[in-house]
Amino acid sequence: MALITVRFYSLWRSYLGTDSTTLQADHIDDALTQLEEKFGYQLRKKLETAGIHLDGKIQDYSLILLNGIALRNLRSTALKEGDVLHIFPPAIGG
Amino acid sequence: MESNTVDKDIARYIAEAVESYLAPDGKRLSVVSLKTVASISRSKRIPAKEVEITALKQGIIPRRYLRNMGTIGLDGQIKLLQSTVAVVGAGGLGGTIIELLARQGVGHLIIIDNDRFTEQNLNRQIMSTEENLGEYKVTVAAKRAGEINSAITVTTFRERLTRENTQKLLGGAQVVADGLDNLPSRLVVEQACRQLAIPYVYGTIAGFCGQLMTIFPEDAGLPSIYGSSNAIPEQGIETKIGNPPATPAIIAALQVQEVVKIITGVGKPVRNQILLVDSRECAIDRIELRR
Repeated sequence: MALITVRFYSLWRSYLGTDSTTLQADHIDDALTQLEEKFGYQLRKKLETAGIHLDGKIQDYSLILLNGIALRNLRSTALKEGDVLHIFPPAIGG
Repeated sequence: MESNTVDKDIARYIAEAVESYLAPDGKRLSVVSLKTVASISRSKRIPAKEVEITALKQGIIPRRYLRNMGTIGLDGQIKLLQSTVAVVGAGGLGGTIIELLARQGVGHLIIIDNDRFTEQNLNRQIMSTEENLGEYKVTVAAKRAGEINSAITVTTFRERLTRENTQKLLGGAQVVADGLDNLPSRLVVEQACRQLAIPYVYGTIAGFCGQLMTIFPEDAGLPSIYGSSNAIPEQGIETKIGNPPATPAIIAALQVQEVVKIITGVGKPVRNQILLVDSRECAIDRIELRR
């Protein structure tokens, strides 16, 4: 099991009330499942309070990078000690 | 030879009208007024921008740029006056970008937008007023830029940027600043900038938050945050949380700073990093991006 750090940014940090957490996981899917279990309900509840209804898991409506690489671009989904997951909401307006 | 003679001629006119200015730090500077620049431009039938450039080359500062000098210097101001910057989208981000670039003294602005102002723009789009609702954004923006700085030139395109017209719309620009409101268009602009081998200053907003990144042609760019697949979102949480007035102003101001840094060579643009601004928590973070 690798100890990894998850960092929250922008609105997610405000709504979760913390800027980071740590998880023990071997694969990215395992880390995302734990993240969902730990924070999914709380994040959606906070968003609901602000009048925002978002379906699905955190990963469905977030931008996620592993050590600065977008999840969709990862060549390996295995995690190693000290890896960092960055999570933030997509902001696309102008 | 001929242009040299004209330059000398203009230089002489400027030298005759030069004024002395006592800067707040006690230094005496040679300056030239807006009125003098306009009058030389009229009488010699040359663009005001050229008069300003000629003055700056002699160490004479157009008064209007006095407060720019400490950050970018004479050379920086000359580079800006000689540059062309394209602003794609003249709404929340774009309006403020245009306003600031005109004040900064960017010599040529290309403004691209096919939209008109509506009431829901009034909360944040700095160019919109109750009076000009229904008018095309490019028309209003060009007028405003000219009122701020009559020495600069403005080219407008009242059309939507597509894969087909990027060459026509962006050709000649040295930098492109992002004032768009959706991701597919931003990907088109990014691709076009790579083909034109020019940098693209990406900026986005949602609620109290915003993002910024300067993408040079060789940089990883948008695929490094959105992934390379086609399954990209068209819009983000701004559709749910809206865009309050201050957020576009914050991000647009940072985008303008990037444009200035790129053109003048002063400072370091935010490359291969995404800058995440959260004004609710007053936090600014950077994430290093990798391929």
